[in-house]
Amino acid sequence: MSIELIIGAWVATGLTFFIFTFLYKDNPLFKLAENLYVGVSVGYTIVKTYDTVIIQLIWKPIVEQGEWTLLIPVAIGMLMLTRYAPKAAWISRYAFAFIVGVGSGLAIPRTISSFILKQIEDTVRPLLMLVPGEGVTFTWSLLNPASSLNAIIILVGVCSVLFYFFFSVEHTGPGKVVARTGVMFLMIAFGAAFGYTVMARMSLLIGRLTDLIEFSDSSYGSPSLWLLGLTILTLVVMARRSSSKQPKEE
Amino acid sequence: MSFTERMLKIDRRIIFLVIGLCTLIPLLYPVGLPIKISQEVRGVYDHIESLPEGATFLLSLDFDPASKPELHPQSISLLRHAFRKNLRVIALTLWVSGTGMADQVVTQVAREMGKENGKDYVFLGWSPGGTAVIINMGQDLYGAFPADYNGKPTKGLPVLQGVQSLRDVNYAVSLGAGRPGVEEWYVFGRDKYKFELGGGCTGVMAPGLYPLLRSGQINGLIGGLRGAAEYEILIDQKGKAVAGMDAQSATHLAIIVLVIMCNLFYFSSRSRARQQGQAGA
Repeated sequence: MSIELIIGAWVATGLTFFIFTFLYKDNPLFKLAENLYVGVSVGYTIVKTYDTVIIQLIWKPIVEQGEWTLLIPVAIGMLMLTRYAPKAAWISRYAFAFIVGVGSGLAIPRTISSFILKQIEDTVRPLLMLVPGEGVTFTWSLLNPASSLNAIIILVGVCSVLFYFFFSVEHTGPGKVVARTGVMFLMIAFGAAFGYTVMARMSLLIGRLTDLIEFSDSSYGSPSLWLLGLTILTLVVMARRSSSKQPKEE
Repeated sequence: MSFTERMLKIDRRIIFLVIGLCTLIPLLYPVGLPIKISQEVRGVYDHIESLPEGATFLLSLDFDPASKPELHPQSISLLRHAFRKNLRVIALTLWVSGTGMADQVVTQVAREMGKENGKDYVFLGWSPGGTAVIINMGQDLYGAFPADYNGKPTKGLPVLQGVQSLRDVNYAVSLGAGRPGVEEWYVFGRDKYKFELGGGCTGVMAPGLYPLLRSGQINGLIGGLRGAAEYEILIDQKGKAVAGMDAQSATHLAIIVLVIMCNLFYFSSRSRARQQGQAGA
């Protein structure tokens, strides 16, 4: 096994244990791992961005291929930097205006088309289906998203939730029933979202534990076992130190 | 203090320990609980199966190491499937922090399947702009990525023969952990340039993407580690996702039991407090 893999296993294992120590309580080991994570990810992003944007997409095409038109977006981008000079900060508004204008122009029609029109189209799909030879049919399968039963449930859900958020009419009488139905649909949606969130968080834990089990192998030098012991020992020493300091301070 | 009150004020570290053990024990001693294939995961699999040899398959790995446990197994399974079908694979990422990891997974699976860089697959790397990159690729793929991740010019690469823009892509899958991700690939890619799109995502994002699936805006969805496990079963190459399913089931069971117990203790303590109040009056 290559030395890079072994070093990587030791670093990953150590940092995982350091982060997990937060479950016991906040401590310097957790702080070390947390700050390292932030530092490394920011450093990586800066280096990758510099290499891809400045070198690959700006410097090389201009200098090596003579694509001078690239100087226009570069100039617009440079206007952003005038934010750092208070007297010239107003110039950056031109760059922002360009970005907001282009961004809105691109995003608004596409978003309306994709999320509003398409979703309305799906919500108001026919509740009954006309099948050639069979006439008008109604499908009951809850497992089939396109079934007539699911179309009705979605229609009721959408209408009742929209009514729940309609505040111009007091929710009394039949309106109260509709609004309550909307609340029930919302609760089911929140429950489903929370269930998926729990599943996702557990998956992350499974991912880390799978790696820790893999790194307990002797081919890596058993970093999981050594570093687990070291982390527990450090926590015990820190707990003892803090408990011996407390009476003195008192 | 009664047993119920003690349980309601239990040290949360004991709960962490219980969850930790429920995860660790099934990983060490797997039971092999059955995994049922869902329709949404099958949607992605069936579409890749239906593609002819040499068709272009675009895989956008829009995640970073923070979502690795869920999306890394998905990407491995999809790449194995695509390479096994002899598709031409175009991989990229819209997340700068995931560039190195994306390169590693593409290179690793390609080497495992005996595929050649530039001929059978290409990793385009990362380009700034997020959604603008998708639009740019829709107009001119070579303008968005003049060179691949290794700095080799993309024009003239055998794997990109006949591919000018996203319109020439037969199937695209975005494995997204946030934005830009599956939604952006639909809004700025599929809706405009009319190619088939499938999605893969973290568990947190899955409920938000189901409306796109139902309306047919995406033709399949691989959700979280569970989706990855289903895909591993479909391609008959069990990996880390299948191995994690027992642990996932055990932790879910533990959480359900904890929720039920917590509610029982809560109602029990409330009724006792009410009885004591009545007795006091």
